[in-house]
Amino acid sequence: MLIRHITVALDCSPHSIASLNAAAELASMLQADLTGIFVEDINLLRMADLPFSHEIRIYAHEPEKMEPLQVERSLRRQARTAEEALQRIADKFMIEHTFMVRRGVVPAEVIAAALEADLLVLGRSGRSRNCRKGLGSTARKALAEAKKPLLFMRPGFSTKESPVLVLYDGSEGSRRALEAALELVQPEGTLHLLILGESFEETLLMEKELAREIALPLYAVEYHHLPLKDGTTLARYVRMADSGLLVLSDRMKLPRESVHELINTIDYPVLLV
Amino acid sequence: MQMPAKLSAGQLYRTCDPQEFGFVTTAELDAPVQAAGQDRAFDAIKFSMGITHQGFNLFALGPNGTGKQTAIMHLLGNIAPEAPTPSDWCYINNFENPGNPLALRLPPGRATTLARDMEHLLEALFTVIPAAFSSEEYQAQEKDIHEKLEERQAETIEELEKKAATSNIALIRTPAGFAFAPMQKGEVIKHEEFMQLKETERVAIEEEIGRLKSAMQSIMAQIPTWQRETQEKIKALNRNIANFAVKPLIAEVRSRYESLEEVTGYLERLENDIIENFDQFLDKEPDPREMFLGISSGRLSHKSPSFNRYRVNVIVDNGKTTGAPIVYEDKPACQNLVGDIEHISQMGTLVTDFTLIKPGALHRANGGYLLIDARRLLGEPLAWEALKKALRTRHIRIESLAQLYSLVSTVSLEPEPIPLTLKVILLGERHLYHLLSIYDPDFSELFKVAADFEDEIAVSTEGKLAYGRMLASIARQDNLRPFDRSAVARVVEHGSRLAGDTSKLTAHLQSISDLAREADYYAAAANRQSVQAEDVQQAIDARILRSSRIQEKIREATLKHSILIDTDSEKSGQINALSVYFTGGQSFGHPGRITATMRLGKGEVIDIEREVDMGGPIHSKGVMILSGFLGARFATDQPLSLSASLVFEQSYSGVEGDSASSAELYALLSALSGVPIRQWLAVTGSVNQFGQVQAIGGVNEKIEGFYDLCKARGLTGKHGVLIPASNIDNLMLRRDVVESVEKGEFSIWPITHVDEGIEILTGIPAGELDEKGLYPPNTINGMVVAKLGEMAEKLRKFSATGESEEE
Repeated sequence: MLIRHITVALDCSPHSIASLNAAAELASMLQADLTGIFVEDINLLRMADLPFSHEIRIYAHEPEKMEPLQVERSLRRQARTAEEALQRIADKFMIEHTFMVRRGVVPAEVIAAALEADLLVLGRSGRSRNCRKGLGSTARKALAEAKKPLLFMRPGFSTKESPVLVLYDGSEGSRRALEAALELVQPEGTLHLLILGESFEETLLMEKELAREIALPLYAVEYHHLPLKDGTTLARYVRMADSGLLVLSDRMKLPRESVHELINTIDYPVLLV
Repeated sequence: MQMPAKLSAGQLYRTCDPQEFGFVTTAELDAPVQAAGQDRAFDAIKFSMGITHQGFNLFALGPNGTGKQTAIMHLLGNIAPEAPTPSDWCYINNFENPGNPLALRLPPGRATTLARDMEHLLEALFTVIPAAFSSEEYQAQEKDIHEKLEERQAETIEELEKKAATSNIALIRTPAGFAFAPMQKGEVIKHEEFMQLKETERVAIEEEIGRLKSAMQSIMAQIPTWQRETQEKIKALNRNIANFAVKPLIAEVRSRYESLEEVTGYLERLENDIIENFDQFLDKEPDPREMFLGISSGRLSHKSPSFNRYRVNVIVDNGKTTGAPIVYEDKPACQNLVGDIEHISQMGTLVTDFTLIKPGALHRANGGYLLIDARRLLGEPLAWEALKKALRTRHIRIESLAQLYSLVSTVSLEPEPIPLTLKVILLGERHLYHLLSIYDPDFSELFKVAADFEDEIAVSTEGKLAYGRMLASIARQDNLRPFDRSAVARVVEHGSRLAGDTSKLTAHLQSISDLAREADYYAAAANRQSVQAEDVQQAIDARILRSSRIQEKIREATLKHSILIDTDSEKSGQINALSVYFTGGQSFGHPGRITATMRLGKGEVIDIEREVDMGGPIHSKGVMILSGFLGARFATDQPLSLSASLVFEQSYSGVEGDSASSAELYALLSALSGVPIRQWLAVTGSVNQFGQVQAIGGVNEKIEGFYDLCKARGLTGKHGVLIPASNIDNLMLRRDVVESVEKGEFSIWPITHVDEGIEILTGIPAGELDEKGLYPPNTINGMVVAKLGEMAEKLRKFSATGESEEE
């Protein structure tokens, strides 16, 4: 997996800050350049233009009239904040960076902007995560339509320090996931290999093969075995393992929908290859 | 008249025979030191210690150094161990009102155990609570609660979102909240397109959005309630976890104090407080501001002052006390008596808590005995009032002095007063006792018993043996050589000399113990195994020598005739009187010249000392008595037509006392009769209006003072001293004086009446009235009467001349 250009979607939310950190760490590690993209939500601007548009806030008694100019200003402010954050972190990691502001429907613009990138990093949800379960709209759209690999980040994790968990079932997709994980796992870090198979014998066989391939690693490798099951069981197991970044592919023996369901359900950062 | 005989050498010194003692050295005596002859004081002490009613505290009065404290300590040492050991006391935090720390009573020795248990508990809490709260179980439960809230919010909003979607309206997440907008092809409808819609469609959309907004607002209004509910759930979970972690630890402590209701009650309150404030035990990042200001030491530790609220401040620990405590407070300052509340400086202000409460002597002595020196107590500001208040209220209330006087304005404490049951024993001089009795109405209420210590004890076998025991005890205590019985005898003799009475011994133990230590020094210098009589004598001589500078200067001035004292010729109207000088701890005698002169007058005797304010009232009284005597004896038939002046020659400081009044009378009689007085004699003694000679003080020093001068000039055998006969019992003269008397070089006459004295001083009898009521002409009285008659005649003639001239 050759990554030279990383694009990160920025909206100043805690998730997007986590995304920015992760993207910068990866860029630094893989010697890639970083592009920050901020999308001025066209829906917001259009809505503000409508005569009856009101914003309902949690701690306000009455809905407040939305003014187009005010929304414009607010978006510009956010864009500035995002750019400053990018600048700061790029300086810290000493990486090349560019910042883009686009206007349009957020998920579509993000996916379009990432077309030229080798990796798209985005938050699991946007600014209003408290009011949505699972992935946000942009993340959902990206999961469905965007070019892989994709990294969904969330606060509280780091691609550098957390252990890495890979889903492996012998498929081509899972092999690519393992390759990506091997690039990410740090010396003296831990690589968790969750081997999925029809039977215990099969997973054991896979473990032996993998052990041969990953000879004398600089990091610890832990093998886990699980019968190939649905996404919900898998999600429960991943939560139990609590190992940090999950690396997987949506082209595994596991149905694609199950993979997407798993990504939607678990509250961990996910690298989808 | 029968003239008194000179005193024999045996009458001048009462020797103590070493053979009277049944021991050879004091090493054989093992009884503890006990003041003898103080039965009256001891009875008072026993009475005060025995009576339990309020106010029966004791004032032990007597001069300093009489061994009051030693005697009381000895008595208490017998009583106190039999009494019950008082409780321990400690101060604990008042969780309801931290400004009023609570006093906690515990059985002896349990307070320190409780304090230690609490320290261990605190230490354990720092392990157990963080462990409980970092457990996977807790983390999972906490996360679950938070997720439930999020899910609830999300579900409700998503439901509304779905409902809106059926009307082709989208819920848009704005930077600060939510908004609804009609959609077209997956995007929010543009303004122009919206305006192109039919009026009815627009209204329908607006109405639908209006309904959705209201629904959304209702959801928004519920969110704070949900958040509060979540918070409550988190709190309940925290309480459960803390409870689970803390309860077993406290139960373990509680099991050790089951029988002590107050302690179990305290532990219950403590448990609730810890559970309520569990988060303080969780390791958190120190506040950088606190670090900067030095309040926080960085990592949280059970030693941190912020956990003082869970500590126990032991005020009284009687764990190692047997019976009632006996406390002597050497510095009875107010805060040393009733305790103090200390403050520490924090961020420039003074702060305090109950662990900074310091106990006072009253706390330590509670349930026992407290000894205080009255003079020191009265010298300490507010201490006397504080002690009285504690005794009156029977409670120890700690009040910060600074707070009392508003010297500092910081938060302070009002600790719960501790009940007080003790006996206070004040030690002081008599005048202090009397002053307090007169001027302080509380005093007689609170100190109802007085133990009056004797200044001296009788020279009995018991008294002498008590001296022996005392020397034995001092020797043992100060690691001195044992005292040979000859040395004990010499100390007994010196005790008599200090008492100024051959039948008494001084009760001033301090002087005796000092002499013992000094004698031991000389015994050591002489390389002796035990202290002998000569060591004691050497110590006495050395002590006199050390303080004899002024005495020698005066004698030197006398020998050089700078001070005129005649010890050889006979002079009329001039006599050697004897006076005593006090220098520091020592006194010495020296003769002084008194002269009397006569002139015509109206019968008054002028005391020049009084005229120039150099005579004290007693001296003046003595001189006035002389007028009384002269008037009674010589002026019953004719007026006293004279004026006499009396003066202490070369006296440059004040004169006090009446011991020279007999000498003054002799000088007057000599001046009146014109008969010279033998200057080789000296006189001491006071006189009354009937001419009787009365006892005086310092007789030994006075005799020795005149003896030393005469000896320096050469004793001829005629030198001598006239002393009051009533002072014979006070004679404990120096050995050299006694030896000179024995050899006939020096004489001492005991005088009971001035008529005896004048005959010895002049060689002419005083004279007694014959049957006609007249004094024989060749007697002193006869000559005085003749002289007075002559003067009266002159005065009468003079008065007659004056009157005729006026006519």
